[in-house]
Amino acid sequence: MNMDRLKISFIMTLRMLLRRRIVLLLLGVIPAIFLGIVSLTTSDSPLPFRLASLDEEPVVAIPEEGIHFVFFAVASVGFLLSFLALNLIQKHRHVTRRLVLCGYSPTGLLISKLAALLIFILLVATYVGVLTNLLYEIDHLGWFIFSLVSIGFVYGCYGFLVGSLIRGELEGILLIVLLVNIDVGWLQNPLFYEGAQNQEVIRYLPAYFPSQASLIAAFTDYGISHAIGNAYLYGAGFLLLSLLIYYKTMKTYR
Amino acid sequence: MVLRAKHIYKSFGKNQVLRDLFLEVAPGSLCGIVGENGSGKSTLLKILVGEWKPGAGTVEISGRLGYCPQQITLFPQLSVDEHFRYFAAAYGVTPMERKDRQAHLLGYFNFEKYLGEKVAHLSGGTAQKLNLSLALLHRPKLLILDEPYSGFDWDTYQRFWGYVSQLREEGCAILVVSHFITEKQVFDQIYEMKYGQLQ
Repeated sequence: MNMDRLKISFIMTLRMLLRRRIVLLLLGVIPAIFLGIVSLTTSDSPLPFRLASLDEEPVVAIPEEGIHFVFFAVASVGFLLSFLALNLIQKHRHVTRRLVLCGYSPTGLLISKLAALLIFILLVATYVGVLTNLLYEIDHLGWFIFSLVSIGFVYGCYGFLVGSLIRGELEGILLIVLLVNIDVGWLQNPLFYEGAQNQEVIRYLPAYFPSQASLIAAFTDYGISHAIGNAYLYGAGFLLLSLLIYYKTMKTYR
Repeated sequence: MVLRAKHIYKSFGKNQVLRDLFLEVAPGSLCGIVGENGSGKSTLLKILVGEWKPGAGTVEISGRLGYCPQQITLFPQLSVDEHFRYFAAAYGVTPMERKDRQAHLLGYFNFEKYLGEKVAHLSGGTAQKLNLSLALLHRPKLLILDEPYSGFDWDTYQRFWGYVSQLREEGCAILVVSHFITEKQVFDQIYEMKYGQLQ
Protein backbone atom coordinates (compact mmCIF):
# COMPACT_ATOMS: atom_id res chain seq x y z
CA MET A 1 0.00 0.00 0.00
CA ASN A 2 1.43 3.35 -1.06
CA MET A 3 1.68 5.68 1.98
CA ASP A 4 1.85 8.88 -0.09
CA ARG A 5 -1.39 7.99 -1.82
CA LEU A 6 -3.01 7.17 1.52
CA LYS A 7 -1.83 10.46 3.00
CA ILE A 8 -3.13 12.56 0.11
CA SER A 9 -6.46 10.74 0.06
CA PHE A 10 -6.81 11.22 3.83
CA ILE A 11 -6.01 14.95 3.59
CA MET A 12 -8.43 15.48 0.71
CA THR A 13 -11.23 13.54 2.44
CA LEU A 14 -10.73 15.57 5.61
CA ARG A 15 -10.67 18.86 3.68
CA MET A 16 -13.91 17.97 1.91
CA LEU A 17 -15.58 17.22 5.24
CA LEU A 18 -14.30 20.36 6.93
CA ARG A 19 -15.53 22.53 4.04
CA ARG A 20 -19.13 21.46 4.53
CA ARG A 21 -20.06 24.05 7.10
CA ILE A 22 -23.69 22.99 7.50
CA VAL A 23 -22.54 19.47 8.38
CA LEU A 24 -20.15 20.84 11.00
CA LEU A 25 -22.88 23.04 12.39
CA LEU A 26 -25.30 20.12 12.65
CA LEU A 27 -22.67 17.97 14.36
CA GLY A 28 -22.54 20.63 17.05
CA VAL A 29 -26.23 21.47 17.24
CA ILE A 30 -27.91 18.04 17.14
CA PRO A 31 -26.37 16.66 20.39
CA ALA A 32 -27.14 19.95 22.12
CA ILE A 33 -30.79 19.63 21.05
CA PHE A 34 -30.97 15.99 22.18
CA LEU A 35 -29.50 16.78 25.60
CA GLY A 36 -31.48 20.02 25.87
CA ILE A 37 -34.73 18.09 25.44
CA VAL A 38 -33.65 15.63 28.14
CA SER A 39 -32.86 18.52 30.45
CA LEU A 40 -36.31 20.04 29.87
CA THR A 41 -38.40 16.89 30.13
CA THR A 42 -36.93 14.46 32.68
CA SER A 43 -37.24 14.43 36.45
CA ASP A 44 -34.54 13.83 39.06
CA SER A 45 -36.35 10.95 40.80
CA PRO A 46 -34.08 7.91 41.13
CA LEU A 47 -34.85 4.86 39.01
CA PRO A 48 -33.28 1.42 39.49
CA PHE A 49 -31.81 -0.58 36.59
CA ARG A 50 -29.42 -3.48 36.11
CA LEU A 51 -25.98 -3.29 34.50
CA ALA A 52 -26.44 -6.43 32.50
CA SER A 53 -22.98 -6.70 30.95
CA LEU A 54 -21.24 -7.07 34.33
CA ASP A 55 -20.89 -10.55 35.84
CA GLU A 56 -22.62 -9.61 39.07
CA GLU A 57 -25.36 -7.71 37.20
CA PRO A 58 -25.55 -5.03 39.95
CA VAL A 59 -28.68 -2.93 40.29
CA VAL A 60 -28.04 0.80 40.56
CA ALA A 61 -30.51 3.61 41.26
CA ILE A 62 -29.74 6.75 39.29
CA PRO A 63 -31.85 9.93 38.78
CA GLU A 64 -33.98 9.64 35.66
CA GLU A 65 -32.32 12.65 34.02
CA GLY A 66 -28.86 11.11 34.53
CA ILE A 67 -29.91 7.89 32.81
CA HIS A 68 -31.41 9.80 29.91
CA PHE A 69 -28.47 12.17 29.53
CA VAL A 70 -26.18 9.18 29.11
CA PHE A 71 -28.65 7.30 26.89
CA PHE A 72 -29.15 10.28 24.56
CA ALA A 73 -25.43 11.06 24.50
CA VAL A 74 -24.85 7.53 23.19
CA ALA A 75 -27.78 7.79 20.77
CA SER A 76 -26.66 11.13 19.31
CA VAL A 77 -23.08 9.94 18.74
CA GLY A 78 -24.36 6.72 17.11
CA PHE A 79 -26.80 8.59 14.87
CA LEU A 80 -24.37 11.28 13.75
CA LEU A 81 -21.40 9.04 13.04
CA SER A 82 -23.38 6.43 11.13
CA PHE A 83 -24.83 9.11 8.85
CA LEU A 84 -21.44 10.73 8.40
CA ALA A 85 -19.86 7.38 7.48
CA LEU A 86 -22.67 6.59 5.05
CA ASN A 87 -22.15 9.96 3.41
CA LEU A 88 -18.38 9.46 3.20
CA ILE A 89 -18.86 6.28 1.19
CA GLN A 90 -21.86 7.23 -0.94
CA LYS A 91 -21.16 10.86 -1.80
CA HIS A 92 -19.27 11.41 -5.08
CA ARG A 93 -18.92 7.67 -5.58
CA HIS A 94 -18.42 8.18 -9.33
CA VAL A 95 -15.42 10.47 -8.69
CA THR A 96 -13.94 7.95 -6.26
CA ARG A 97 -14.46 5.32 -8.94
CA ARG A 98 -12.52 7.50 -11.38
CA LEU A 99 -9.67 7.66 -8.86
CA VAL A 100 -9.67 3.85 -8.74
CA LEU A 101 -9.55 3.70 -12.55
CA CYS A 102 -6.58 6.09 -12.39
CA GLY A 103 -4.65 3.87 -9.98
CA TYR A 104 -5.94 4.20 -6.41
CA SER A 105 -6.75 0.94 -4.62
CA PRO A 106 -10.28 0.68 -3.20
CA THR A 107 -8.78 -0.58 0.07
CA GLY A 108 -6.50 2.45 0.35
CA LEU A 109 -9.38 4.81 -0.29
CA LEU A 110 -11.53 3.12 2.34
CA ILE A 111 -8.69 3.25 4.88
CA SER A 112 -8.21 6.96 4.27
CA LYS A 113 -11.97 7.52 4.70
CA LEU A 114 -11.82 5.51 7.93
CA ALA A 115 -8.93 7.65 9.18
CA ALA A 116 -10.94 10.82 8.45
CA LEU A 117 -13.96 9.28 10.18
CA LEU A 118 -11.86 8.41 13.25
CA ILE A 119 -10.89 12.07 13.62
CA PHE A 120 -14.56 13.00 13.59
CA ILE A 121 -15.44 10.18 16.02
CA LEU A 122 -12.88 11.57 18.48
CA LEU A 123 -14.12 15.15 18.06
CA VAL A 124 -17.83 14.33 18.33
CA ALA A 125 -17.35 11.89 21.26
CA THR A 126 -15.26 14.42 23.19
CA TYR A 127 -17.73 17.22 22.49
CA VAL A 128 -20.78 15.15 23.50
CA GLY A 129 -18.96 13.74 26.55
CA VAL A 130 -18.00 17.20 27.82
CA LEU A 131 -21.46 18.59 27.06
CA THR A 132 -23.12 15.73 28.98
CA ASN A 133 -20.77 16.31 31.90
CA LEU A 134 -21.76 19.98 32.00
CA LEU A 135 -25.41 19.00 32.37
CA TYR A 136 -24.95 16.01 34.68
CA GLU A 137 -21.81 15.08 36.54
CA ILE A 138 -20.27 11.93 35.06
CA ASP A 139 -18.24 9.73 37.44
CA HIS A 140 -15.42 8.89 35.03
CA LEU A 141 -15.44 11.38 32.17
CA GLY A 142 -12.38 9.95 30.36
CA TRP A 143 -13.84 6.43 30.25
CA PHE A 144 -17.22 7.84 29.33
CA ILE A 145 -15.73 9.63 26.32
CA PHE A 146 -13.90 6.42 25.44
CA SER A 147 -17.22 4.55 25.48
CA LEU A 148 -18.73 7.22 23.20
CA VAL A 149 -15.79 6.68 20.84
CA SER A 150 -16.74 2.99 20.79
CA ILE A 151 -20.37 3.68 19.78
CA GLY A 152 -19.03 6.09 17.13
CA PHE A 153 -16.71 3.37 15.84
CA VAL A 154 -19.38 0.63 15.82
CA TYR A 155 -22.01 2.75 14.11
CA GLY A 156 -19.48 4.50 11.85
CA CYS A 157 -18.46 1.07 10.56
CA TYR A 158 -22.13 0.15 10.17
CA GLY A 159 -22.52 3.33 8.06
CA PHE A 160 -19.58 2.18 5.93
CA LEU A 161 -21.21 -1.23 5.49
CA VAL A 162 -24.55 0.24 4.40
CA GLY A 163 -22.79 2.72 2.10
CA SER A 164 -20.77 -0.05 0.46
CA LEU A 165 -23.81 -2.24 0.02
CA ILE A 166 -26.45 0.29 -1.04
CA ARG A 167 -26.02 2.88 -3.79
CA GLY A 168 -29.26 4.78 -3.30
CA GLU A 169 -29.08 7.64 -0.82
CA LEU A 170 -32.63 7.24 0.49
CA GLU A 171 -32.33 3.46 0.83
CA GLY A 172 -29.09 3.94 2.76
CA ILE A 173 -30.62 6.51 5.09
CA LEU A 174 -33.60 4.25 5.77
CA LEU A 175 -31.34 1.32 6.64
CA ILE A 176 -29.37 3.52 9.03
CA VAL A 177 -32.50 4.91 10.63
CA LEU A 178 -33.96 1.42 11.00
CA LEU A 179 -31.11 -0.07 13.03
CA VAL A 180 -29.94 3.03 14.87
CA ASN A 181 -33.46 3.89 15.91
CA ILE A 182 -34.39 0.41 17.08
CA ASP A 183 -31.05 -0.41 18.68
CA VAL A 184 -29.47 2.77 20.07
CA GLY A 185 -32.63 4.83 20.24
CA TRP A 186 -34.88 2.27 21.90
CA LEU A 187 -33.75 -1.19 22.96
CA GLN A 188 -30.54 -0.08 24.70
CA ASN A 189 -32.42 2.26 27.01
CA PRO A 190 -31.59 0.64 30.40
CA LEU A 191 -35.09 1.30 31.67
CA PHE A 192 -36.61 -0.54 28.72
CA TYR A 193 -34.03 -3.31 28.95
CA GLU A 194 -34.88 -3.90 32.60
CA GLY A 195 -38.38 -5.12 31.78
CA ALA A 196 -37.79 -6.48 28.27
CA GLN A 197 -38.54 -10.04 27.23
CA ASN A 198 -35.92 -11.99 25.29
CA GLN A 199 -33.06 -9.86 26.57
CA GLU A 200 -30.64 -12.13 24.71
CA VAL A 201 -31.75 -10.50 21.45
CA ILE A 202 -30.84 -7.07 22.78
CA ARG A 203 -27.42 -8.35 23.89
CA TYR A 204 -26.56 -9.27 20.31
CA LEU A 205 -27.30 -5.82 18.86
CA PRO A 206 -24.36 -3.55 17.97
CA ALA A 207 -25.05 -0.80 20.51
CA TYR A 208 -25.32 -3.15 23.50
CA PHE A 209 -21.68 -3.07 24.61
CA PRO A 210 -21.02 0.64 23.94
CA SER A 211 -24.23 1.57 25.82
CA GLN A 212 -23.28 -0.65 28.73
CA ALA A 213 -19.78 0.82 28.78
CA SER A 214 -21.23 4.35 28.88
CA LEU A 215 -23.58 3.55 31.76
CA ILE A 216 -20.82 1.81 33.74
CA ALA A 217 -18.36 4.68 33.20
CA ALA A 218 -20.96 7.34 33.96
CA PHE A 219 -22.38 5.90 37.18
CA THR A 220 -20.10 3.24 38.70
CA ASP A 221 -16.48 2.40 39.50
CA TYR A 222 -16.53 -0.89 37.60
CA GLY A 223 -14.13 -1.39 34.71
CA ILE A 224 -15.34 -1.09 31.11
CA SER A 225 -12.58 -2.99 29.31
CA HIS A 226 -14.77 -6.07 28.68
CA ALA A 227 -17.62 -4.05 27.21
CA ILE A 228 -15.28 -1.82 25.18
CA GLY A 229 -13.38 -4.83 23.81
CA ASN A 230 -16.59 -6.46 22.63
CA ALA A 231 -17.77 -3.17 21.12
CA TYR A 232 -14.60 -2.82 19.05
CA LEU A 233 -14.88 -6.46 17.95
CA TYR A 234 -18.39 -5.73 16.69
CA GLY A 235 -17.18 -2.62 14.87
CA ALA A 236 -14.25 -4.52 13.36
CA GLY A 237 -16.70 -7.10 12.01
CA PHE A 238 -18.72 -4.38 10.28
CA LEU A 239 -15.51 -2.83 8.97
CA LEU A 240 -14.21 -6.08 7.52
CA LEU A 241 -17.51 -6.77 5.79
CA SER A 242 -17.68 -3.26 4.38
CA LEU A 243 -14.09 -3.55 3.15
CA LEU A 244 -14.88 -6.75 1.27
CA ILE A 245 -18.02 -5.31 -0.31
CA TYR A 246 -16.39 -1.97 -1.10
CA TYR A 247 -13.47 -3.74 -2.75
CA LYS A 248 -15.80 -5.91 -4.81
CA THR A 249 -17.93 -3.00 -6.00
CA MET A 250 -15.02 -0.64 -6.71
CA LYS A 251 -12.44 -2.98 -8.21
CA THR A 252 -11.45 -2.57 -11.84
CA TYR A 253 -10.82 -5.17 -14.52
CA ARG A 254 -7.55 -4.09 -16.12
CA MET B 1 -1.04 -1.81 -31.01
CA VAL B 2 -1.75 0.30 -27.96
CA LEU B 3 -5.26 -1.14 -27.61
CA ARG B 4 -6.45 -4.56 -28.67
CA ALA B 5 -9.94 -5.79 -27.79
CA LYS B 6 -10.78 -9.28 -29.06
CA HIS B 7 -14.00 -11.28 -29.16
CA ILE B 8 -15.79 -9.05 -26.70
CA TYR B 9 -19.25 -10.14 -25.61
CA LYS B 10 -21.51 -8.48 -23.11
CA SER B 11 -25.15 -9.03 -22.34
CA PHE B 12 -27.60 -7.83 -19.74
CA GLY B 13 -30.11 -10.59 -19.13
CA LYS B 14 -31.31 -11.70 -22.55
CA ASN B 15 -30.25 -8.45 -24.22
CA GLN B 16 -26.92 -9.03 -25.94
CA VAL B 17 -25.26 -5.63 -26.29
CA LEU B 18 -21.83 -6.58 -27.67
CA ARG B 19 -21.20 -9.60 -29.90
CA ASP B 20 -17.78 -10.80 -30.88
CA LEU B 21 -16.50 -7.23 -31.05
CA PHE B 22 -12.99 -6.57 -32.29
CA LEU B 23 -11.06 -3.29 -32.03
CA GLU B 24 -7.43 -2.33 -32.51
CA VAL B 25 -5.92 1.12 -32.08
CA ALA B 26 -2.38 1.88 -33.26
CA PRO B 27 0.00 4.33 -31.52
CA GLY B 28 -0.48 7.91 -32.68
CA SER B 29 -3.80 7.20 -34.39
CA LEU B 30 -7.12 8.93 -33.92
CA CYS B 31 -10.15 6.65 -33.94
CA GLY B 32 -13.79 7.44 -33.53
CA ILE B 33 -16.72 5.28 -32.51
CA VAL B 34 -20.18 6.56 -33.34
CA GLY B 35 -23.57 5.03 -32.82
CA GLU B 36 -27.12 5.74 -31.82
CA ASN B 37 -28.23 5.93 -28.23
CA GLY B 38 -28.45 2.43 -26.82
CA SER B 39 -26.14 0.95 -29.45
CA GLY B 40 -23.64 -0.21 -26.83
CA LYS B 41 -21.00 2.57 -27.05
CA SER B 42 -21.04 3.24 -23.32
CA THR B 43 -20.91 -0.46 -22.52
CA LEU B 44 -17.86 -0.88 -24.76
CA LEU B 45 -16.21 2.15 -23.23
CA LYS B 46 -16.73 0.89 -19.68
CA ILE B 47 -15.19 -2.43 -20.67
CA LEU B 48 -12.22 -0.77 -22.39
CA VAL B 49 -11.36 1.41 -19.39
CA GLY B 50 -11.81 -1.51 -16.99
CA GLU B 51 -14.94 -0.37 -15.22
CA TRP B 52 -16.91 -3.44 -16.29
CA LYS B 53 -15.86 -7.00 -16.98
CA PRO B 54 -16.69 -8.37 -20.44
CA GLY B 55 -18.90 -11.47 -20.60
CA ALA B 56 -16.18 -12.98 -22.78
CA GLY B 57 -13.11 -11.74 -24.63
CA THR B 58 -9.97 -9.83 -23.74
CA VAL B 59 -8.83 -6.22 -23.62
CA GLU B 60 -5.11 -5.47 -23.81
CA ILE B 61 -3.79 -1.96 -23.27
CA SER B 62 -0.08 -1.28 -23.45
CA GLY B 63 1.03 1.87 -21.66
CA ARG B 64 -0.74 4.46 -19.57
CA LEU B 65 -4.45 5.01 -20.10
CA GLY B 66 -6.09 8.41 -19.84
CA TYR B 67 -9.87 8.47 -19.59
CA CYS B 68 -12.10 11.50 -19.73
CA PRO B 69 -15.71 10.69 -18.79
CA GLN B 70 -18.60 12.51 -20.41
CA GLN B 71 -19.95 13.89 -17.16
CA ILE B 72 -17.87 16.27 -15.08
CA THR B 73 -16.42 13.81 -12.58
CA LEU B 74 -14.88 16.02 -9.91
CA PHE B 75 -15.20 16.75 -6.18
CA PRO B 76 -17.16 20.03 -5.71
CA GLN B 77 -15.43 20.88 -2.40
CA LEU B 78 -11.89 20.54 -3.75
CA SER B 79 -9.99 23.20 -5.69
CA VAL B 80 -8.44 22.84 -9.15
CA ASP B 81 -4.98 22.55 -7.57
CA GLU B 82 -6.17 19.87 -5.13
CA HIS B 83 -7.62 17.85 -7.99
CA PHE B 84 -4.26 17.89 -9.76
CA ARG B 85 -2.57 16.70 -6.54
CA TYR B 86 -5.14 13.97 -5.89
CA PHE B 87 -5.06 12.58 -9.41
CA ALA B 88 -1.27 12.85 -9.63
CA ALA B 89 -1.12 10.63 -6.54
CA ALA B 90 -3.50 8.17 -8.22
CA TYR B 91 -1.32 8.00 -11.34
CA GLY B 92 1.91 7.85 -9.34
CA VAL B 93 3.19 11.10 -10.90
CA THR B 94 6.01 12.71 -8.86
CA PRO B 95 5.40 16.18 -7.35
CA MET B 96 8.00 17.79 -9.65
CA GLU B 97 6.51 16.24 -12.75
CA ARG B 98 3.02 17.14 -11.57
CA LYS B 99 3.95 20.81 -11.19
CA ASP B 100 5.32 20.92 -14.75
CA ARG B 101 2.36 19.12 -16.28
CA GLN B 102 -0.13 21.11 -14.25
CA ALA B 103 1.39 24.43 -15.33
CA HIS B 104 1.43 23.30 -18.95
CA LEU B 105 -2.21 22.14 -18.97
CA LEU B 106 -3.46 25.19 -17.04
CA GLY B 107 -1.67 27.44 -19.51
CA TYR B 108 -2.69 25.56 -22.63
CA PHE B 109 -6.39 25.42 -21.73
CA ASN B 110 -6.24 28.91 -20.29
CA PHE B 111 -7.64 28.38 -16.80
CA GLU B 112 -4.60 29.06 -14.57
CA LYS B 113 -6.42 31.90 -12.80
CA TYR B 114 -8.82 29.33 -11.29
CA LEU B 115 -6.05 27.27 -9.65
CA GLY B 116 -7.23 27.93 -6.08
CA GLU B 117 -10.92 27.95 -6.91
CA LYS B 118 -13.20 25.15 -5.70
CA VAL B 119 -14.93 23.15 -8.43
CA ALA B 120 -18.34 24.13 -7.00
CA HIS B 121 -17.53 27.74 -7.97
CA LEU B 122 -16.31 27.01 -11.51
CA SER B 123 -18.36 27.48 -14.69
CA GLY B 124 -19.33 24.33 -16.60
CA GLY B 125 -16.75 25.08 -19.30
CA THR B 126 -13.87 25.51 -16.85
CA ALA B 127 -14.86 22.36 -14.96
CA GLN B 128 -14.83 20.52 -18.29
CA LYS B 129 -11.30 21.82 -18.95
CA LEU B 130 -10.23 20.38 -15.60
CA ASN B 131 -12.07 17.14 -16.31
CA LEU B 132 -10.06 16.75 -19.53
CA SER B 133 -6.76 17.97 -18.06
CA LEU B 134 -6.89 15.29 -15.35
CA ALA B 135 -7.01 12.63 -18.07
CA LEU B 136 -3.87 14.17 -19.63
CA LEU B 137 -1.87 14.71 -16.44
CA HIS B 138 0.26 11.55 -16.68
CA ARG B 139 1.04 11.75 -20.43
CA PRO B 140 -1.15 8.81 -21.45
CA LYS B 141 -0.26 6.49 -24.32
CA LEU B 142 -3.95 5.93 -24.98
CA LEU B 143 -6.56 8.59 -24.38
CA ILE B 144 -10.22 7.57 -24.32
CA LEU B 145 -12.72 10.41 -24.53
CA ASP B 146 -16.43 9.94 -23.94
CA GLU B 147 -18.51 12.57 -25.76
CA PRO B 148 -15.72 15.13 -25.48
CA TYR B 149 -17.55 17.94 -27.28
CA SER B 150 -20.39 18.29 -24.82
CA GLY B 151 -19.77 21.22 -22.49
CA PHE B 152 -16.82 22.70 -24.43
CA ASP B 153 -17.03 26.34 -25.39
CA TRP B 154 -15.62 27.38 -28.79
CA ASP B 155 -12.21 28.35 -27.41
CA THR B 156 -11.81 25.03 -25.58
CA TYR B 157 -13.04 23.17 -28.64
CA GLN B 158 -10.29 24.75 -30.78
CA ARG B 159 -7.65 24.18 -28.15
CA PHE B 160 -8.81 20.59 -27.75
CA TRP B 161 -8.13 19.83 -31.43
CA GLY B 162 -4.79 21.60 -31.19
CA TYR B 163 -3.86 19.42 -28.26
CA VAL B 164 -5.02 16.28 -30.04
CA SER B 165 -2.55 16.84 -32.90
CA GLN B 166 0.21 17.57 -30.37
CA LEU B 167 -0.56 14.31 -28.54
CA ARG B 168 -0.57 12.32 -31.77
CA GLU B 169 2.86 13.66 -32.65
CA GLU B 170 4.05 12.34 -29.28
CA GLY B 171 2.68 8.89 -30.18
CA CYS B 172 -0.47 8.99 -28.07
CA ALA B 173 -3.44 7.16 -29.56
CA ILE B 174 -6.85 8.75 -29.11
CA LEU B 175 -10.22 7.05 -29.10
CA VAL B 176 -13.28 9.29 -29.26
CA VAL B 177 -16.66 7.78 -28.44
CA SER B 178 -19.59 9.96 -29.39
CA HIS B 179 -23.09 9.92 -30.88
CA PHE B 180 -21.76 12.23 -33.61
CA ILE B 181 -18.30 13.11 -34.86
CA THR B 182 -17.18 16.46 -36.20
CA GLU B 183 -13.86 17.16 -37.96
CA LYS B 184 -14.16 13.76 -39.68
CA GLN B 185 -11.17 14.52 -41.92
CA VAL B 186 -8.70 14.36 -39.03
CA PHE B 187 -9.71 10.82 -37.96
CA ASP B 188 -7.78 7.77 -39.13
CA GLN B 189 -10.75 5.48 -38.64
CA ILE B 190 -14.35 6.02 -37.70
CA TYR B 191 -16.33 2.94 -36.68
CA GLU B 192 -20.06 2.72 -36.37
CA MET B 193 -21.47 0.66 -33.55
CA LYS B 194 -24.33 -1.44 -34.92
CA TYR B 195 -25.85 -4.73 -33.75
CA GLY B 196 -23.21 -4.99 -31.02
CA GLN B 197 -20.27 -4.82 -33.42
CA LEU B 198 -18.05 -2.14 -34.97
CA GLN B 199 -18.56 -1.62 -38.68
